[in-house]
Amino acid sequence: MSPLLEQFLSEARDFLQGIGEKLMQLENAPDDVELMTELFRFVHTLKGNSGLFDFPEMTRVLHAGEDLMDAVRNGRVAYSQQLADRLLDAMDFVGMLCDEIEAEGSIGAAYAADSARLAESLRQLMASAEKAGAVSAIEEAATPLVLTAAAATAPLLAPKVELPLAEIPETARMAAYRSARAGNPLHWLSYSPAEECFFNGDDPFFQARQTPGVVWGGIVARAPWPPLAAMDAYRCLLDFRLLTTAPRAEIDEYYRYMPEQIKLLPVSPLALVLPQGDPNGGPVYEDLVVDALRNLRGGDVSAVARAARAMLELSNPDLWLSSALRWLLLLIECEPDNHPALAALIESLRSLQPVDWYLLEQSATPAVGAGTAAGATEAAAGTASPLAAEEAAALAAIVAAQRAILSLPLGAPWQLGRLRAAGAALAGCLRASGRGEAVHEVETATAQSLACGSAQPLSDWLAHHFAPAAESAAAANHPSASAVATAAARPVATASGGANTASDGDRESSSGRRADDAESDVKFGRRAEDAAAAGVKSVKVDQAKIDRLMNLIGEIVVAKNALPYLAGRAETVFGVRELAREIKAQYAVINRIAEEMQDGIMQIRMMPVSFVFQRFPRLVRDISRKLGKEVNLVLEGEDTEADKNIIEALGDPLVHIVRNSLDHGFELPELRRAAGKPPAGTLTIRATQESDRVVIEIVDDGKGIDPAVIKRKAYEKGLIDETALERISDQEAVNLVFAAGFSTAEVVSDLSGRGVGMDVVRTAIEKVNGAISLESQKGKGTRLRLSLPLSMAVTNVMIVESDAQIFGVPMDCVVETVRVPRADIRSIKKSLTTVLRGRIIPLKSTNALLGLAAPPLANAEDELAVLVVRLGDESVGLLVDDFRETVDIILKPMAGVLAGLPAYSGSALMGDGSVLMVLNIKGLF
Amino acid sequence: MAKTIMIVDDSATMLMSVKATLEMNGFKVETAADGEAALSKLKTGFKPDLIITDINMPRMGGLELIKNVKALPGFRFVPILTLTTESQAAKRDEGKRLGATGWLVKPVSGADLIKVIKQVVPGA
Amino acid sequence: MPIEFRKNQALFTEVVSVEDAEGLLEWLQKKPGARIDLSACMHLHPANLQVLMAASVAIVAWPADAAFTGWLRSALAAPP
Repeated sequence: MSPLLEQFLSEARDFLQGIGEKLMQLENAPDDVELMTELFRFVHTLKGNSGLFDFPEMTRVLHAGEDLMDAVRNGRVAYSQQLADRLLDAMDFVGMLCDEIEAEGSIGAAYAADSARLAESLRQLMASAEKAGAVSAIEEAATPLVLTAAAATAPLLAPKVELPLAEIPETARMAAYRSARAGNPLHWLSYSPAEECFFNGDDPFFQARQTPGVVWGGIVARAPWPPLAAMDAYRCLLDFRLLTTAPRAEIDEYYRYMPEQIKLLPVSPLALVLPQGDPNGGPVYEDLVVDALRNLRGGDVSAVARAARAMLELSNPDLWLSSALRWLLLLIECEPDNHPALAALIESLRSLQPVDWYLLEQSATPAVGAGTAAGATEAAAGTASPLAAEEAAALAAIVAAQRAILSLPLGAPWQLGRLRAAGAALAGCLRASGRGEAVHEVETATAQSLACGSAQPLSDWLAHHFAPAAESAAAANHPSASAVATAAARPVATASGGANTASDGDRESSSGRRADDAESDVKFGRRAEDAAAAGVKSVKVDQAKIDRLMNLIGEIVVAKNALPYLAGRAETVFGVRELAREIKAQYAVINRIAEEMQDGIMQIRMMPVSFVFQRFPRLVRDISRKLGKEVNLVLEGEDTEADKNIIEALGDPLVHIVRNSLDHGFELPELRRAAGKPPAGTLTIRATQESDRVVIEIVDDGKGIDPAVIKRKAYEKGLIDETALERISDQEAVNLVFAAGFSTAEVVSDLSGRGVGMDVVRTAIEKVNGAISLESQKGKGTRLRLSLPLSMAVTNVMIVESDAQIFGVPMDCVVETVRVPRADIRSIKKSLTTVLRGRIIPLKSTNALLGLAAPPLANAEDELAVLVVRLGDESVGLLVDDFRETVDIILKPMAGVLAGLPAYSGSALMGDGSVLMVLNIKGLF
Repeated sequence: MAKTIMIVDDSATMLMSVKATLEMNGFKVETAADGEAALSKLKTGFKPDLIITDINMPRMGGLELIKNVKALPGFRFVPILTLTTESQAAKRDEGKRLGATGWLVKPVSGADLIKVIKQVVPGA
Repeated sequence: MPIEFRKNQALFTEVVSVEDAEGLLEWLQKKPGARIDLSACMHLHPANLQVLMAASVAIVAWPADAAFTGWLRSALAAPP
């Protein structure tokens, strides 16, 4: 994955998180403009980012979301719960796409349908809310359409324009002529920059120089210059003129920042044929002219060329004649069949006056011949009818579009706006084509159509005044015009698509579902509450880098711990006491630094519990709404920090607990009211730090747990026997919910019931050395308390010896160490036990548990070393050979095949290089 | 001499993308996450040959940045391009009115970006 | 500096920017008969061009780029 994509995904998750949060907040403050602006910015930026990649499925949904939020922001659409729901669904989808991209590197084709459906569901909200505004919008759209059509063709309507083409050097004109004859359009561009343009960072000279296809350019002052002392160098008073052979679209694109400052006029290539030079002499060229005209009539163009070339060689190149001959040769080369043009040019040698090409083109008829027509028709068409061919085509296309619009079925009343728009467009067409007198007819027909709610009167008028066949032929001949037609039809099609009328149903065939279905809560293979798991990654440093630091500091701790051994050896083996002391002193320094460093790295890994908590507003909202319950969520202590691993491990259990509480804990509002409670329940999730542990409490004021029900269920499920049923206390009974295979729900619901119960929660918490406890009062509510270590990077273990090996036992598990005289150990039913402070403690031989044959060793007083450890709620005594010191170690989990050994939770390197195996007490039994 | 371009955008992804494209084409690039950050960078005497700014940003948006940059001594002629989406036509015009040279439409392809810069910065 | 001001002649080099126009205007006011050498110039901002036009300076050398020279001549070349 490219770094850019990684960056995108990481940032996208932050944005999704932010969007979710803002939506939640908006729910309480729907009029908060600042929130709305923020929300829009998130969606907008995310969409912009997605556009950097080829993820159309994602961009489409985000684009719809952006448009919707923009509409909300501008007050065109009101914020609603439904809107929030759909937007959240859409963001879930985007989040899922992010996962998909991360896993697969791309988005599978299967998502296209969902993407389209979601985008549509968002747009629907806009469409329905904007129904009222739609009419005027279409009307507005229709007017500029006509204007554009007129503007595009304006230059052709323009009469002969005197352009200062003669100022252009002959070589430049010849180059332009050649290029134009090679099929390139030829335009005269005049660019008059705004006087203040320098302050916009413009460099109009540079802009002009870089114009695409420029063959010549010149600069003139707009006004006479003032004296230097009065001059303002920063007021632009220059006009730029140039000749270009680039396509018009390219020029428009290039000057898009200043369209109002340029004028573009088409130039006929022949207009460039302007011989210049010293007139020198009278009718001495008569022979040349006569011969050339005769040869031309005879069709021998090459003879004309030969004669011209010969004459050119004999003449001074600065003569007007020479210039004309050069042009003649160029014309013969480029358009040898344009005899009228050649003849006119030859004729001009007599008068030494430039040919009036405009006049020539006006009088030329298209019948002259295929080659000749090329140059002449452009102007000829202008005189034949009030509209040029191009304009006629555009007009036809517009009319055809109106016809298509009028033939659409009218579904909703607001669609009458279409009629008004079509009427306005047609009126514009009439004005543009010089038939302004008919405008009132269109207006009457439009009024009739609006009055009777049918397109009929208007289409009748259309059929009567514009012949459909001619139009369509013209439109077909003119690709750009038909594009206009499509464009004209599009807004209408979109508007009706958004209207969600019955006929729209089959448009959704791509997704196989109707747009309305978007409302149903199809989730995208991921539950809302899972979304935040990815958000944890917003620790902006790659986790692997921190892990590496952790490993390195672990190694430093180990290496550092070797120093005391070294000091010991210096003293005992080599007998250099002084050195041993120095090593110890140095060790103290390194030790301090290492500890600080370790602490620093731990700090990096610390994350606020809010990373887990932030998913709950959405989760609680979604689930309680689904269940028809009312629950207020209170989050406290979100700033409390703990190690990243702990925070991550907390996520799933906490979600499970909250689901459970919503599902089973809270009563429906009416039940609550009947019980004299407020209809809305309160769920509090509170985080606090207690010395080196972080404590999470989940408190609800729901119906609590009935110990009697629990006991009965536990008995039915065979978790407890009859005697236990009688004996256990209510508190003990309540704790049975943590027993494996216990689930209190009568029906396994789709919410909390993934077929697992609280035992899974307990296991997950215990895995990170946490503890869980539960208190409940029937009818009052339930309080769950999770207690977790702040960090699990460093584990404090006690080292014990057994069968000449050392083992580590996590101090969390150790209750006490005692030496028990062998005589005090009794054997009950083959099990060893002893009594400690009045309680019977079962004893197990560590050797036996580990499959070692050696019996436990006793000390000189025949006492056995017993390490009392906590095993769930019980205490068990482990028989070991001896106790050693306690150490802080960095526990590395067992990897590879060893990971399957339940007896060990991991290993650690000791200062002397030996490996300490750390026992997993629960896994031993 | 390599031209220096400052990009202002609150999206780290966008910054990264534009920066990479520009650097590949031999430009020197400075980035800022919002208008405020950009402005304080400019006040330290850093003078880019071109500023490209997003519109929608927290703290100080692009339009306000343009206003402020144009008021900074020595910056009245610095070309500024706004980074907009196709739906922000009004913002583009507003940007121009405030003194921007032009605009780019997101998503900007690398080729378009370079093309526009070469159009706006002589010698680029 | 893109403009090297010498005794009675200014040498334009590389890209002469908009910022240089003020200095140029001041200099030309002090040196009415000054001449300009554009041979090493790649581009000049039109603010400078305006100043040159208004001062009707004499150009002693044109840029190497023919197209660029074409533009400049249209504005600066003395009328024949």
